[in-house]
Amino acid sequence: MAEKVLRQIAIYGKGGIGKSTTTQNLTAGLTELGKKVMVVGCDPKADSTRLLLGGLHQKTVLDTLRENGEVELSDIMKEGFGGTKCVESGGPEPGVGCAGRGIITSIGLLERLGAYTEDLDYVFYDVLGDVVCGGFAMPIREGKAKEIYIVASGEMMALYAANNISKGIAKYARTGGVRIGGIICNSRNVDRERDLLEAFAAELGTQLIYFVPRDNIVQRAEINRKTVIAYDPKSAQAQEYRNLAEAIDKNTKLTVPQPMTQDRLEEILIEHGLIDAEEYYAAT
Amino acid sequence: MGAGIIEQERFTCALGAMQSVVAIPKALPILHSGPGCGDNVSEFFSRNKGYAGGSTVPCTNFSEKEVVFGGINKLRELLENSYKILDSDLQVIFTGCTAGIVGDDVASVAEEFRDQGKPVVYVESPGFKSNNFVAHSAVVNAIIDQYVSGFENESTFRSRKNTVNLFASIPYQDLFWKGNLAEYKRLLEAVGLEVNILFGSESKGVKEWQQIPEANFNILVSPWYGLPIVEHLKDLYGQPFLQYPNMPIGANETEKFLNAVVAFAIENGADINELAVRKYLKKEDAAYYAEIEELATFLLEFRYGLPGYVHIIHDASYVLGLSKFLLNETGVIPKEQFIVDDTPEKFQQKIADELQSISEKRDIEVFFLPDAGRAQEKIKSLSHRGKGLIIGSGWDKKLADDRGFDFINAALPTDYRMVLNANYVGFSGGLRLIEDIYSGTLSKFA
Repeated sequence: MAEKVLRQIAIYGKGGIGKSTTTQNLTAGLTELGKKVMVVGCDPKADSTRLLLGGLHQKTVLDTLRENGEVELSDIMKEGFGGTKCVESGGPEPGVGCAGRGIITSIGLLERLGAYTEDLDYVFYDVLGDVVCGGFAMPIREGKAKEIYIVASGEMMALYAANNISKGIAKYARTGGVRIGGIICNSRNVDRERDLLEAFAAELGTQLIYFVPRDNIVQRAEINRKTVIAYDPKSAQAQEYRNLAEAIDKNTKLTVPQPMTQDRLEEILIEHGLIDAEEYYAAT
Repeated sequence: MGAGIIEQERFTCALGAMQSVVAIPKALPILHSGPGCGDNVSEFFSRNKGYAGGSTVPCTNFSEKEVVFGGINKLRELLENSYKILDSDLQVIFTGCTAGIVGDDVASVAEEFRDQGKPVVYVESPGFKSNNFVAHSAVVNAIIDQYVSGFENESTFRSRKNTVNLFASIPYQDLFWKGNLAEYKRLLEAVGLEVNILFGSESKGVKEWQQIPEANFNILVSPWYGLPIVEHLKDLYGQPFLQYPNMPIGANETEKFLNAVVAFAIENGADINELAVRKYLKKEDAAYYAEIEELATFLLEFRYGLPGYVHIIHDASYVLGLSKFLLNETGVIPKEQFIVDDTPEKFQQKIADELQSISEKRDIEVFFLPDAGRAQEKIKSLSHRGKGLIIGSGWDKKLADDRGFDFINAALPTDYRMVLNANYVGFSGGLRLIEDIYSGTLSKFA
């Protein structure tokens, strides 16, 4: 048997796009494939593991560090759905200190405490929406996560954000070896959404790895603090997340993204009818 | 300034302005910075102690935990503990780079303590913001705004017609600051003024600071640094200011300086006995030139061994003051001069013009180089007739030795000179400088 390779994956995307929901449902799908997964929430809001744990993680790394001065792995790592290991980095109080540095501190701490065990197949970093400073680029710096997926939808701002994030990835690709694995569409039921996302991904030099259709069952599962796979394993949406998990598990297409200029991005949006051409040219 | 390596800075980052607090009797700087910052800064200055300087300065030792969570609680604790150990009259918090980047709300901590009646002031002094020449003004203005303001009474603004606030040497950055400030005070008192000197052993500490608003006017001896202080005081209390561009060294400049001060004081309603001033100046003048006369035989006999020209590597006030003195009173000709205090561009032309005004016959070229290493490179490539003299920091000694020049160590950093309260300002300062120049010459014959 070939030696097991740990895949460390960071999920980025515009705030509110559904990164945490997608990551957790995807994780649930991977566990069903027999994979061992750790999810590291990299958002001061600390809500990246709520669905896997059936409620908010009570002890974030930084809370524990602040209160106790020192941290043990058992304090901060909880087991969630399907044996997933769940950690929340957390952050300082809003408006105080440096949350970016907090992410760096907590990932460093996880390494020192031996959280990255050999039995793991996947580590997911669920990073807050806007990569506001170097601290939030931490998972892709220093070669922590080598594989990036960007969650997007057919809305203009989601694509702007995805393009910007790609600039960050391209920057670190030169030094850290990080690659983009694809765009995950978390559908908003926008017209011609799949076409647009495919065209966008192709222009970026990557792929639309999976198109997750919109289904209100996701919200119902969330209210019940569960992933869709746990809430209603037989539902069509549960199968969609299983398919996403399989697509990612099988994915070998890892590329250096080629972020586009603002003009080119807007052209693509016009081509796919997201921006009205006449209005656009009148305005510019 | 541009990109590239800076080899030799002759000043420190903004945090170095903590020495301005060290120089106020019984005032305490408190560093909200990394553990090495204070050490680094205080090591730069030859003497750094004061009431609670050097290794005594309390520091929050800002490190990773404070970066992530903010360091406000630690700062609060440090302040509280400082009261248990030190009986200081004024506490001034300085923020280092990390606290500045993280954005700790230090203002609110200072305010919290002030609400409890504690004399706490804060200054934003991250090193990336400015150097200590600039930050000195920020510190003084912060103390005025956050401490002196508590003692203000509008009816007493400018009420003491013969009192002035003097801003000149930057404490500790000027190697002779203590002696110079004491000499300014002595000279100004001799012409009938009372002086708030604010720093050093002649200062009455916070009591004196509290009286700043009552002074009739302000004197700034500097071509640029310190200007924000007197401008601020003008805005706050309506105090006019007299700016003298250089430190007055020797009889010529000291008389000129005192005459300018007396004229300004009278213009602003001070009660000055002009006759007494003239008598005083005459007496000092006579004593000064009597000493110069003593030199006559020496100058004649050593005429081939004396320095004929000088390169000065110093701050703007020193370069101007020393050049004027050396040309007019010793005949040592100022050649290329190097101002290494990172003078902001907007002041440079005026300073160059002032330097040129010393002589109608000679061009005195001046270079503004925040990197004194580049000044040294330049001097290596220059050659003039006669023997040269370099006045600079201890780092310039090797250059002077290599070139066979005489050398006076009169700037920081200094490895070769111990200064306690010697002064270069005033009549006595001029004589002191002459002693230094010719002692250097004579030592070569030993």
